[in-house]
Amino acid sequence: MPYGPPRDVSIDGHLVDGAFRYLTVATSICFAIVVLVLAIAVLFHRGRAGRVAHYTHGDRRRHLALSLGVALALFVGIDAVLAGRSLGHLETRFWAWPENAPDVVRVEVTARQWAWVFRLAGPDGRFGTRDDVVTMNELRVPVGRPVYLKLRSRDVVHSLYLPSFRTKSDAVPGSTTRLWFQAREPGSFELGCAQHCGVSHYRMRGELRVLPSEEWRLWSNRASEDGRLRYDASAEQAADAWDWDQG
Amino acid sequence: MLSFSRDHKVIAKQFLALGLAFLAVGGFMAMLIRWQMAHPGAPVPLVGHVLFGASGGIISPAAYTSLFTMHGTIMIFFAVTPILIGAFGNFCIPLMIGARDMAFPTLNALSVWTMAAATAVLTASFFVPLGAPSAGWTAYATLSTAVGTPGLGQTLWVVAIYLNGTSSVMGAVNYITTIIRERAPGMTWFRLPLTVWGFLMTSILNALFVPVLAAGMVLLFFDRVFGTQFFIAGSTIKGGGDPILYQHLFWLFGHPEVYILILPAWGIVSDLLSFFARKPAYGYRVTVGAFCAVTALSSLVYGHHMFTTGMSPLLGESFMVLTMIISVPAVVLFLNWLGTLWRGAMRLDTPMLYCLGLVFTFGVGGLTGLFLADIVADLYLHDTYFVVGHFHLIMAAAVLLAIFAGITFWFPKMFGRMMNERLGKLHFWLTIVSLNVVFGLQLVIGYAGMQRRLYDPSVYDFLRPLLPLNQLISRAGFVLGAAQLIFVFNFFWSLWRGRVAGENPWEVGTLEWTVPSPPPHHNFEELPVVHHGPHELGNPFVRARLGRDWLGQNEAPELAAPPPARSDEPEAAEPEVAS
Repeated sequence: MPYGPPRDVSIDGHLVDGAFRYLTVATSICFAIVVLVLAIAVLFHRGRAGRVAHYTHGDRRRHLALSLGVALALFVGIDAVLAGRSLGHLETRFWAWPENAPDVVRVEVTARQWAWVFRLAGPDGRFGTRDDVVTMNELRVPVGRPVYLKLRSRDVVHSLYLPSFRTKSDAVPGSTTRLWFQAREPGSFELGCAQHCGVSHYRMRGELRVLPSEEWRLWSNRASEDGRLRYDASAEQAADAWDWDQG
Repeated sequence: MLSFSRDHKVIAKQFLALGLAFLAVGGFMAMLIRWQMAHPGAPVPLVGHVLFGASGGIISPAAYTSLFTMHGTIMIFFAVTPILIGAFGNFCIPLMIGARDMAFPTLNALSVWTMAAATAVLTASFFVPLGAPSAGWTAYATLSTAVGTPGLGQTLWVVAIYLNGTSSVMGAVNYITTIIRERAPGMTWFRLPLTVWGFLMTSILNALFVPVLAAGMVLLFFDRVFGTQFFIAGSTIKGGGDPILYQHLFWLFGHPEVYILILPAWGIVSDLLSFFARKPAYGYRVTVGAFCAVTALSSLVYGHHMFTTGMSPLLGESFMVLTMIISVPAVVLFLNWLGTLWRGAMRLDTPMLYCLGLVFTFGVGGLTGLFLADIVADLYLHDTYFVVGHFHLIMAAAVLLAIFAGITFWFPKMFGRMMNERLGKLHFWLTIVSLNVVFGLQLVIGYAGMQRRLYDPSVYDFLRPLLPLNQLISRAGFVLGAAQLIFVFNFFWSLWRGRVAGENPWEVGTLEWTVPSPPPHHNFEELPVVHHGPHELGNPFVRARLGRDWLGQNEAPELAAPPPARSDEPEAAEPEVAS
C-alpha cells in the first residue's frame, strides 16, 4: 500500500494487522449494505407526485425481531469473534510477559521531556549498578529474543510507540508500565512518543536498532565496560534505575 | 440579546449566538492546524503576521500546542455544547412538550450567563503571561499541572471548564424537571418527540457525570494553585499522587460526554428522518429503548480510552467487551433509521439532506469505533490520527450535520423566516464531500501510523511520505472551512430577507408547529391537549378525512382511527401506536 503502515518486523505485529484487516473487511461489507439501502431509499422512495408513503410504525413483534436479530447477529459475527480472538492474543501474546524466558533482554525505560533513556542491566543482570548500559534515544536489542521493557516517567505522561512493531505503552509518572516485543529481523527502526507531552513532543523521536545476536553481545559488553569506567553515582541519570523486581 | 431574559426562546438564541461565534473561532483554529500540517514551518498567509508576529508569521511549536488544545476545548465545550444542548434544548423542549416555559426560568437564565462567564475566562486565557492553555483538550496530568504547564493560562482553562460544567448541570436539572413535570395533558412518555428523549438522556448524563469532571477540575486547580499533589508523581518532582486518577475522572465524564453530545443529535435525526420521509418513525419504542441502553452503558465503557496506560488486564478486557456491547443498541437505532426511510415518500429539503449526510458519516464513524474498542488493534492505533478521524466523524461531522439540520429545520420557528434552500443545498454538498475527505483520509494516515498532536510529522522518516496526503486533507479542510461562509451568509440573509414562514412550513405534527412563528412569549395561548404520537405521518385515515398526510399531536383523537363501521384491512388497523 502506498500509504500503509511501516513494514511489520515483530513476531506478533501480524496479529494486529490481522485484526485490522478483519475489521476493515467486515465493516466495509456492513457499510456497503447501508449505503445500498440508503441509495435505494433516496433514489426510489422519493416523494414524487402521487407517491404515498407506506404507513407503518414498525412496532410489531416481527419488526423488533428483525432489527434485534440483525444487531445480535452482527454482534456475534463481528464483535464477539473479534473479542474472542483478541482476548486470546492478549493472554497468550501481548500481555504474556516474558518474566522467565531464558533469553529475555530486560530494559528499563525512563521517559522525560523530551528524551528516552534506555538502561540494560549489563553482565551482572542487576539494574542500578556500575555496569549498566545507558543509552539515550537509541535502543539496541538483539534479533530473535524477547525484549521486555519496564517504563517510568520523570515528569509527564509519555507513550513509547514502536510503529514497526505495532505496539505502544504509556510511561506514567509514579507507576511502572510494561511492554514486550521480539524482532524478526535486524535493522534500524523508528520509535517515538505518542502522547502529547509538551512543546517538543514531536521531537521525542528515537531509534530502535535490532542487531544480530553476536554483534549485539559484543556491543553490549563493550558499552558496559565503557559505562563502568565512566560511572558517576551522583549523575542525574544514575537515579533513574530501579530494582527490576520492584517495578 | 444581552438581556437577562427568562424566556426559554431568548435564552436559546443567546446560546445559539454564543455557540456559533465559538464554532467560528474553533473552526478557524482548525484551519491554522491544517496549514501547519500541510506546510510545516511556513508562514501562515494573510493572518500570520497578525497572529504570530513574534515568530515572523510562523506557527511556533508552543503556539501549535495551544492551537490544538483550544480547538478541542472550544469545539466540545463552547461550540457544540451551547448550540446542541443550550440552544436546541432550550428552544425545543418546552415547545415540543407543550409547556409555557422551563420549570426554572431564572436558573435557565443563570445557566446561559454562567456559560458566558466561562467563555470570558477562556478568552482571557489567551492573553496572560506564559501563554494560552496547551495541555490538550484532555489536559492529562501531570502535563496540565504546574509540572508541565506553568502559568495562569492553564489555570484559567481549569476555571473555564468548571464554570462551563456548572452551566451544563444547571441546564440538565432544569431539562429533566421540565420534561418530567411540565408535559401538556396527554403528552405521555411514548408521545414525546424523539428529540425530547434525546435531551432527557443527555441531561441525565450531564447531571450525573459533569460533576465528576468538576471534581477533577477542583483537584487540578488545587494542584496548580495550592500546591497539593492529587495528580502529581514522578522522580523529578516528588509527589505522592497519581496522574492516572485524573484520567479516570476525566474519562468517567469524557466518554459519557460523547453520548451527551450525540444523543440530542440522534433524537433530532430520528424525528427529522420521519418528518421528511413522511412516515412514522420506525420502531419508536425500540429507538427509545436504544437511547436508554446507550445511556446506561455510556459510563461503563470509558476505560477504552486508557488501554495503553498499563491498566489491569482484567479491567482492560472488561472495558473492551462492554464497549463492543454498545454496538447492539447502536445497530438497532441505525436499522430503525433505515426502516424509517424505507418505502417513504422522501422530501429532500435541506434539513433532510443534512440528516442523510449524518446517517452516512455516523455509519463510518461508528464502525471505525470498533477498531479502537479492540485492544489488539488499539495497541497500534491508539493516539494516532485514526482516533482523530474516528471521533471527528462522530463529534465533528455527525454532530455538526445534526446542528445544521436543526438550525435549518427550526429556523422558521425561531425567526419566522425560511432559510434559503439553494444556498443550503450548496452548503450541504460542499460540506459533506469535503468533511468526508478530511476525516476519511485522517483514518488513512492514522493507519499509516501518524501520531496525534505532532507539530512537524517530518521529524519521523516513516511519516514523511504522508505529506501529500496531509496536504490533500488540508486543502479539503480549507474547502470545508470556506463552505461554512455560505452557511453564515445564508443565516444572516435569511434572518432579514428569507421567505416568511407560516405556522407549519414543513407540514409536521409536533406541538411547536401549532403556534405562530416565532411563538409568542408564553408559547401556547391555551395549553394543548395531546392525542397522538409525534410522527403520525401518512396515516391513510387522516388522508381520507383531511386530504393531507400529517396530523398534529393535538388534533382530535378520532381523526387517526379507522372508520367505526368496518375494518377490512389488517395492516391499516394499526395506526394507534401511542395510546
